[in-house]
Amino acid sequence: MASAQVIKRAKYKTTVKDPGTAGVLKMAWDRFIFTPNHPNSASNLDVEFRFIKGHKNTKEGSNKPPWLNLTNDQGGSYIFEFESYPDLHTCRDFVGKSIGRSGETPTAASGKTDASLPDEQISTAELELRIKLLRENSELQKLHKQLVIGGILTEAEFWATRKKLLDRESSRKSKQRVGFKSAMISDIKPATDGRTNKVTFSLTPEVILQIFAEKPAVHAAFLKYVPKKMTEKDFWTKYFKAEYLHSTRNAVAAAAEAAEDEELAIFLRNDDILAKEARQKIRRVDPTVNMEADQGDDYMHLPDHGLFRDGGKDIIESQYELYRRTLAHDLNRHAAVVLEGRTVEVELEDTRTVAEALAKLKRVESANEDSDGTANQGILERIARITEIEDLQASHGPPLAPLCIKDPRDYFDSQQVIAVKAPAAEGKKCNLSSREAYGSLRDSISQTKQMGLLNPVVKTKDALQVFNALSHDISRTKYDVGKNPQDSVLDKLPSTTKEQLLHHWTSIQELLRHFWSSYPITSSYLYAKVNRLKDAMSQIYPQLEEIKKSVPAHHKQHVSVLVRQMHQALDAAFQHYDADLQKRSAKSSERPNGYV
Amino acid sequence: MKFEIEDVTVYFPYDNIYPEQYSYMVELKRALDARGHCLLEMPTGTGKTIALLSLITSYVLSKPQSPLKLVYCTRTVHEMEKTLAELKKLHDYQVKHLGPAARILAVGLSSRKNLCVNPRVLSAENRDSVDAGCRKLTASWVRALAERNPGVPTCEFFEDYERAGSGAVLPPGVYTLQDLRAFGKQKGWCPYYLARHMVQLANVIVYSYQYLLDPKVAGIISKEMQRECVVVFDEAHNIDNVCIEALSVCVRRQTLEGATRNLHRMEQEIDRFKATDESRLRAEYQRLVEGLALRGDLRVNDTWLANPALPDDILKEAVPGNIRRADFFLRVLRRFVQYLKGRLETENVEKESPVAFVASVTNQAGIDQKTLKFCYDRLHSLMMTLEITDTDEFLHIQTICDFATLVGTYARGFSIIIEPFDERMPDVQDPVLQLSCHDASLAIKPVFDRFQTVVITSGTLSPIDLYPRLLNFNPVVSRSFTMSLTRDCICPMVLTRGSDQLPVSTKFDMRSDLGVVRNYGRLLLEMVSVVPDGIVCFFVSYSYMDEIVNSWNESGILKEIMQHKLVFIETQDVVETTLALDNYRRACDCGRGAVFFSVARGKVAEGIDFDRHYGRLVIMFGIPFQYTLSKILLARLEYLRDTFQIKEGDFLTFDALRQAAQCVGRVIRSKADYGMMIFADKRYSRHDKRSKLPGWILSHLRDAHLNLSTDMAVYIAREFLRKMAQPYDKAGSGGKKTLLSQEDIEKMGDSSLNDMLY
Repeated sequence: MASAQVIKRAKYKTTVKDPGTAGVLKMAWDRFIFTPNHPNSASNLDVEFRFIKGHKNTKEGSNKPPWLNLTNDQGGSYIFEFESYPDLHTCRDFVGKSIGRSGETPTAASGKTDASLPDEQISTAELELRIKLLRENSELQKLHKQLVIGGILTEAEFWATRKKLLDRESSRKSKQRVGFKSAMISDIKPATDGRTNKVTFSLTPEVILQIFAEKPAVHAAFLKYVPKKMTEKDFWTKYFKAEYLHSTRNAVAAAAEAAEDEELAIFLRNDDILAKEARQKIRRVDPTVNMEADQGDDYMHLPDHGLFRDGGKDIIESQYELYRRTLAHDLNRHAAVVLEGRTVEVELEDTRTVAEALAKLKRVESANEDSDGTANQGILERIARITEIEDLQASHGPPLAPLCIKDPRDYFDSQQVIAVKAPAAEGKKCNLSSREAYGSLRDSISQTKQMGLLNPVVKTKDALQVFNALSHDISRTKYDVGKNPQDSVLDKLPSTTKEQLLHHWTSIQELLRHFWSSYPITSSYLYAKVNRLKDAMSQIYPQLEEIKKSVPAHHKQHVSVLVRQMHQALDAAFQHYDADLQKRSAKSSERPNGYV
Repeated sequence: MKFEIEDVTVYFPYDNIYPEQYSYMVELKRALDARGHCLLEMPTGTGKTIALLSLITSYVLSKPQSPLKLVYCTRTVHEMEKTLAELKKLHDYQVKHLGPAARILAVGLSSRKNLCVNPRVLSAENRDSVDAGCRKLTASWVRALAERNPGVPTCEFFEDYERAGSGAVLPPGVYTLQDLRAFGKQKGWCPYYLARHMVQLANVIVYSYQYLLDPKVAGIISKEMQRECVVVFDEAHNIDNVCIEALSVCVRRQTLEGATRNLHRMEQEIDRFKATDESRLRAEYQRLVEGLALRGDLRVNDTWLANPALPDDILKEAVPGNIRRADFFLRVLRRFVQYLKGRLETENVEKESPVAFVASVTNQAGIDQKTLKFCYDRLHSLMMTLEITDTDEFLHIQTICDFATLVGTYARGFSIIIEPFDERMPDVQDPVLQLSCHDASLAIKPVFDRFQTVVITSGTLSPIDLYPRLLNFNPVVSRSFTMSLTRDCICPMVLTRGSDQLPVSTKFDMRSDLGVVRNYGRLLLEMVSVVPDGIVCFFVSYSYMDEIVNSWNESGILKEIMQHKLVFIETQDVVETTLALDNYRRACDCGRGAVFFSVARGKVAEGIDFDRHYGRLVIMFGIPFQYTLSKILLARLEYLRDTFQIKEGDFLTFDALRQAAQCVGRVIRSKADYGMMIFADKRYSRHDKRSKLPGWILSHLRDAHLNLSTDMAVYIAREFLRKMAQPYDKAGSGGKKTLLSQEDIEKMGDSSLNDMLY
């Protein structure tokens, strides 16, 4: 049906003046998708046609390039520039049809399934994810086309069995976040061109993010000054000037420069925000490493007590303390930030957005910190654990997760089967009395005694012959199939047959999965679904037969082995269906008065 | 487990015990029985603290007729916390087995800053303002004023505590500082004063060294303790230095300027009192005539100063007549400050004995020795009279008076050194007048005299016969224990050459050699790629560390190191260092791994453990000798040579090697733990240096590991780590047991156990 789709090269423009992003426009019957050529570009589009309210295009012969303008229901528009007018026309016609149809589709779809599930509300994000999955996996796409668009399954049913796929997909996107690198990337070295005295620093958004995270004062200054007071370029020029002053390790010069330039001073001075943070953090530090507590521990604490200039201690220059910053400080700060692993979710492109996202993140964090009061308890427990001498007592054993059986039926059913089987096997033996058993045993012993053990029961040669004949087929097929079915057996088949088989196999699997999951039938919806599935399956059945017939004779055996398995699976389903139907009809006849 | 040592039933909170812990207890018990002092060296990581605590508490439990008090001194607050955590575990165990009879009261004591719960006081930035803030709210005259005038703020926690009176006691249990704060908050009582009060009643007190060693503090906190005390100095390898520091004072320009300001303020106060309330000054005079009876009738919250010189005879003498009157005393102090200012103006280094110094003071300023001796107490009395609460403003004059009293009291064991500038920075004028104590026995003598048993213990007390000489006491037991290991879980190495086979050293002439710096860098770089989790590096000084790290940064080695592990550095800023340490631990916990750069005589080396995954390797870059040109050190060496016949070189080597051993010894926590130690300096391969290391390290230092280059060290490290990763039998195999269970101890009598051990 509406499986036709149009794929054209086009440029996507947000405004008329925008130079546009080159990419591929793909129009399917219900949506259009724009994929930019450059994978990092943000202008990835995926819009359903039902949101599109109208379309305009430039006329052929006017001096404008071939543009197609689609307006959506929010009043926004998507402009595409095509390579040629024929492309434009194909797309325009397609869009015209699609928009017309998109109005009816939902009703048509619900019309087909008489009792549909309440329409699930799916977010656009999830929709996108599904589309992405379909696009990446052609097999899935085929299946989707056949089953969903063919009307056998609804969209929701189709995806319900693939929740895991969706989950994993989304979790991979959200949870696997890239942390900071251990290496210090913010410590960038300037590049000189060799001729002039100019130096060039190249900043990437990643570096900027690290600078902001490690130096809150720079971050605050950026938010405050850019772009109101100075341009971003000026800002970074100042920053690197300050960095240069630091690198010379000349505190006096730094102080002098800072006195002249107020903004420069921000970069040169020690970070007040950091100092404040440090004071806050020190309260939650593990008391067994808290050396700050020592500092206040001496009872008297008179200054100038003790030995001032003995050989053990070092001296520090206290002058210009304000402008003194050491490599050690930077290293510690860097490592702390790396450990915090604070990352921003936004795409790293614009400095401003990076700065703002970081600021937002920090506010959230500080709000969280205010609320946690149980931290102390955790610390105490940790100390208790640490102080123990581990090998003087039995180990605590690794922590265990309790066994959790999601669906108890799975477990108990399998147990029951085993339980049922076992007594049945014993029951047979019980028919034989011990006397009889003993008798037969004695007979066979006496027989062996008479014949002697040397004579083999069957002649070796014969046995080998029989064995070979029997095992020949089995072993070969088994060997081939067992090793790698696609390599061996299937590869020998003509490619069309192979594909058909594989496709049927997956669709049968899918159908069976839905079929079996629908039992026990508790609602009319499920009943309708089962019927639908049964019909679809019975359609596949003869198709398989056809494949079997169509293949050349020398492949017939392999194909029939493969097909037989599928047939068996289908047969089991049909059997169950019939049995269930009978049961149901019997039930309904039992209760002619229509108990509910 | 529970077992008998002679007549004492020892309750030990673990299922097994190391044999050395057992024999440690036996020795300790001997000392307790003999009521004498003892000196015990036991390797780190063999559970010294818990062995000590469980023996002493069990000893007290089994002899209820002679109650012994345990005073446990730690060097740092975090060690105090660790000790209390172990004691908590022990106490839980004992109560479980003996019932409520085993209940004891154990408190940790610290300063106001660490115990205060009043948010108004606590908001102050540094500890001096916390102290002053507290006094402003709790001094007796402030409270008297508040009674009349409700507008005067007081501390509700202190008021509630006072109101509760004798009912304000801690129920039995083990209280860490955190627990004290929580208890105080819950009851609304001041935890600081509560803890100070409970010190008299507690069975176990844990506090810092100086609460016992510094006479200024000891006079207040520890004066009411009975003789029946067991005093333990844990991690006591530096105890001589602590003693010396406690009795040393230095005077700088800032001190004198501050003192002058203080004197001016006091003069104004006196004038104000003269005008308004002269009777108060007269009353003080009367009191002083009768003698220094300050102590008895003063309330606990007012006693914030005490005599720095402990000899009791001072207290019985009357204050000399010339300083009884407040204004006369101020004049004396003014003259003294003036005199010191004059002495500071010198251009040459001067060194004097106290006797000569006092003579010169008498000649030039007209202040005699007896007057000097009383300065500290006289100032104390005066400040009380003047009702001065903002004591943090008056620290400078206190320093001056302390100095005067010490000079006036001790005629030997001290020297006065005046230096116009630091040797290492000759262009910066910063004159210092240093009263430096050389004799560690002076500060610790009262402790030995007063208490029944003093235990000095550490992982590094080698050579063990030196300590009794330095501290001038006679131990009844003096023992050094080795470590019986299940497997070779420590791996000391001496690295003498770098990857280019050239010698490495921090010797003065080699230390700034780029080749050495690079070789050290390559060593660390190789090691960070081989060793998992945490690595600790110790440097000989801050300046050397700064230099070498900057050099590594410039040559790119640091960047390469950071690709393997995060780097943290100890700085002189304690807050920053603490946070760096905390982050270092987290980096090791989360598996990223980290390197910590530290300094051999710094705060981290003093008391932070790098056990288990927090430290799989310690690298000691160089030998941490003291700065040998320091005048103070030279004076001390001279004193040691003249008095104890200890050679300068011997003492310096001893001091450097105990620091080095202390640094590397922090990697091991138990026998299940493992760690490597690299001594990266060619001088360690020499016998005279190496032999000063404690026996338990030496016994694992193989001859093959005495002269390694970087590549060989890396190979050994790889092999060692692979070996340590294998499962092993914890109880020890072969004839020697390294872990004793209850049955093992019961099976063999004391004698056979001792036979097995030695």
